[in-house]
Amino acid sequence: MNRTIIILVLSFVSYISILGAFSRYMASRPIAEKLGYVPSVEVVKAVSADQKELVSAFFVTKVLLYFGGLLEKQQNELPIPPDYPAMSRMIHGAVQLDPYNMDAYYFAQSILVWDVGKVEIANELLDYGMRFRAWDWYLPYFAGFNHAYFLKDYAGAARYYEQAGRLSGSDLLKNLAGRYLQESGKTDMALAYLYAMEKGEKNPAIKKSFRTRMMAFQEVRHIEIARDHYRQTIGRLPATVEVLIQEGYLRTPPVDPYGGHFYLELDGRVATTSKFAFVSTKSVGKKNKVQGAH
Amino acid sequence: MSAVSIHGLSKIFKGKRGTKVVALRNLDLEIGAGEIFGFLGPNGAGKSTTIKTLMGLITPTSGRALIMGKDVSSPEARRHVGFLPENPAFYDYLSAAEYLTFVGRIFKMEAPQLERKSEEVLKLLDLWDARKRLMRGYSKGMVQRVGLAQALLHDPDVYILDEPMSGLDPIGRTLVKEIIQDLKQRGKSVFFSTHITSDVESVCDRVGVIVKGEMKCVRRVDEIADGGITGYEVRHIATGSDSPESITVSTSDLPAILSELQSAGSHILVVEPIRKNLEEFFVDIVRQE
Amino acid sequence: MKNVAIVTLKGIFRDRIFHGILVNVAFFVLIPSIATLSMRQVTELSLTLSLSLVSFILLLLSIFLGGTLLWKDIERRYTYSVLGLPLTRGRYLLGKFAGTAIFTLFVSIVLGVATYLVVSWVSIIYPPERAILWGNLTVCILFEALKYILVIAVAFLFSSVSTSFFLPVFGTISIFLAGNVTQQVYEYIHSASGSALSPLVCQVAVGLYYILPNFSAFDLKVNAIYGIPISLSGTLLTFVYFVLYAAIVLGLAVLVLSRREMR
Ligand SMILES: Nc1ncnc2c1ncn2[C@@H]1O[C@H](COP(=O)(O)OP(=O)(O)OP(=O)(O)O)[C@@H](O)[C@H]1O
Ligand SMILES: [Mg+2]
Repeated sequence: MNRTIIILVLSFVSYISILGAFSRYMASRPIAEKLGYVPSVEVVKAVSADQKELVSAFFVTKVLLYFGGLLEKQQNELPIPPDYPAMSRMIHGAVQLDPYNMDAYYFAQSILVWDVGKVEIANELLDYGMRFRAWDWYLPYFAGFNHAYFLKDYAGAARYYEQAGRLSGSDLLKNLAGRYLQESGKTDMALAYLYAMEKGEKNPAIKKSFRTRMMAFQEVRHIEIARDHYRQTIGRLPATVEVLIQEGYLRTPPVDPYGGHFYLELDGRVATTSKFAFVSTKSVGKKNKVQGAH
Repeated sequence: MSAVSIHGLSKIFKGKRGTKVVALRNLDLEIGAGEIFGFLGPNGAGKSTTIKTLMGLITPTSGRALIMGKDVSSPEARRHVGFLPENPAFYDYLSAAEYLTFVGRIFKMEAPQLERKSEEVLKLLDLWDARKRLMRGYSKGMVQRVGLAQALLHDPDVYILDEPMSGLDPIGRTLVKEIIQDLKQRGKSVFFSTHITSDVESVCDRVGVIVKGEMKCVRRVDEIADGGITGYEVRHIATGSDSPESITVSTSDLPAILSELQSAGSHILVVEPIRKNLEEFFVDIVRQE
Repeated sequence: MKNVAIVTLKGIFRDRIFHGILVNVAFFVLIPSIATLSMRQVTELSLTLSLSLVSFILLLLSIFLGGTLLWKDIERRYTYSVLGLPLTRGRYLLGKFAGTAIFTLFVSIVLGVATYLVVSWVSIIYPPERAILWGNLTVCILFEALKYILVIAVAFLFSSVSTSFFLPVFGTISIFLAGNVTQQVYEYIHSASGSALSPLVCQVAVGLYYILPNFSAFDLKVNAIYGIPISLSGTLLTFVYFVLYAAIVLGLAVLVLSRREMR
């Protein structure tokens, strides 16, 4: 009896004493490990029996938590390259399990499109979703934006915006495509889109990601305005962003929230070394080298 | 009509890997209406197997059995039977009263009659105070009493009881004997198995002895007494003596001894047969195997 | 049969199975907060989670009740006393089945009410973009109940064959999993990529498709979660399928049990 109590107390004390270390270990485990691996969708489909919607929601939530954790680590200056292919696989798995899962499409459109730049895949995903969520104006709206902004396929964009307008009953959307036809309007279009998305977002991780991107695009817009102003007065394109600052066209030096710095392409387009995505320390080093060679 | 009739009943249990147990071998038995029949046999003789076959719980390998003229394969055969299984178990999440209600409804008893009879049997078996407790909390003997109560509940004509006295205290055993005697008075038929010969002796009209699945003999209990005279006790007063003395003689010697005593002038007081009791009768039959 | 059903129900309640379910119902309280993890479909996620919880509870119930009720009666030798009554094996088995099925329906109603409460609460806080079709939800939960009643029937069939409870429990789980994928496999075989399979595999798969219960037909979760219209003729057909399949499975179970020796 007494022995039992002693063993019990000892185990309990030992348990408490390792808890701290254990939870630290769990927290420090590489994120890729946490996101896990989606075996085969066919297998998952079979095993999830009549719980496909649940498993789909679970996949999206997992990706979302992973992504949220990633942003947090970013803040703590612990840059880890996000495992975009794994996230993309999970999202695809999710919509195959539950083709109606809006969270999956939304995550793909909010994060994967920008950060992975796989617009075509995103568009395929959206087309797939439209077959099921036939009532939802968001999907064609997203597709319209992708076509206009990334692919510069304005005719395609107009078609999607039309569909979105029809579904939502709003004329505004129908006019969107026409409004940003030219390259000059591109940044404005992205800003308007991001603004709307950010406003409607509740999830802090996604909201933050929108806000960061908006900040970067606002800086791009400032540089563009200064550049155009310079061209009007001087009659040619400025050579560098630094010229714009030195000559007083830009009041403050632009800051890239993704940690890169802005430069002007030969044709005058504003670009950044970060490519509007958080980068790992390793790849930042590489980029710097590339820049040094310039 | 016979209460129970069994014709050429055989049962072979087939176990795993082709093992076979012959539990019953060509059994014949007829129990008349109003008869109390005791079924005796050593452990594993086939008593319970016979009874399970009668209740349709197992199907015979060959032969057939009828209760009140109805083949036991039909549930109708059980309608007029009160059955007590060996070491019975009842839904232990019910109370005795609830279980009796369940049984009564299956026998299609009318509610008022069911209530009256239920109270009667519960009181008879001394379960009245415990009737509302779940059977989960009952002792072994109490469960046995519930088993008797549910067999008596619908006042059937035939009773098939597998070891009705098992697990009961002496008061309970006496009670069961009284119940069986009462059933006899009321013209009911009872077929019960037991190991205890004195129970048979005191209540049965007839007894059957089964050994290794074969019915060794079926006898009237009083005949066993008559047929089983092993010798005689002769009490006499010899000439010249005034106190009686007893001598035991075998059956074959009796006439010779008697005439001897008579010629010697002894005064014979009484000649009493010495009877084999049922226990010895039973043991003899089993030993013959 | 009615009496056996009543006694079975009593047993289920007395064994505190309903209490156990009520403990699980406590998980409904967590659903609203978990649902806020969703970015765009909080109400839909709350519906998904609620319906999953409902099916999960019903699944456990159907496998463990269906798999152990009959087995327990035999194991504890209750069958000697009950089948010694003038009761056919069929009535006995159907009575037990009816009691279990009624209990399943009752639990579904309780869980359904919990789902209504949770979802309407969430939808007040996070109004969904598409109105919730409560009718769809009701039909969905009803069909969940039917599905698991069918699972119970399958478990009863296994119980009538087996002397242990492993076969009823694990056999039923396998049939449940298989019955949820046959439709998928069937569609795969009839798709372009399926034509590469050997004809024997295809024939076996098609055979299984017709033999195994098709549980995907009962799955109306998507219709309830995303408000997609339910086909009336489809649900009627599914209901008829349910009745017929259950009748066949129970018929077989009665047949097997009637031939079984109670020894
Ligand atoms: N289910 C079974 N499978 C195989 N053999 C069995 C089975 N039931 C009984 N037997 C065998 O049949 C024979 C008769 O058994 P039964 O139970 O009828 O004996 P019994 O006369 O009731 O004995 P007891 O006085 O111990 O109750 C025994 O040899 C027993 O081993
Ligand atoms: Mg016995």
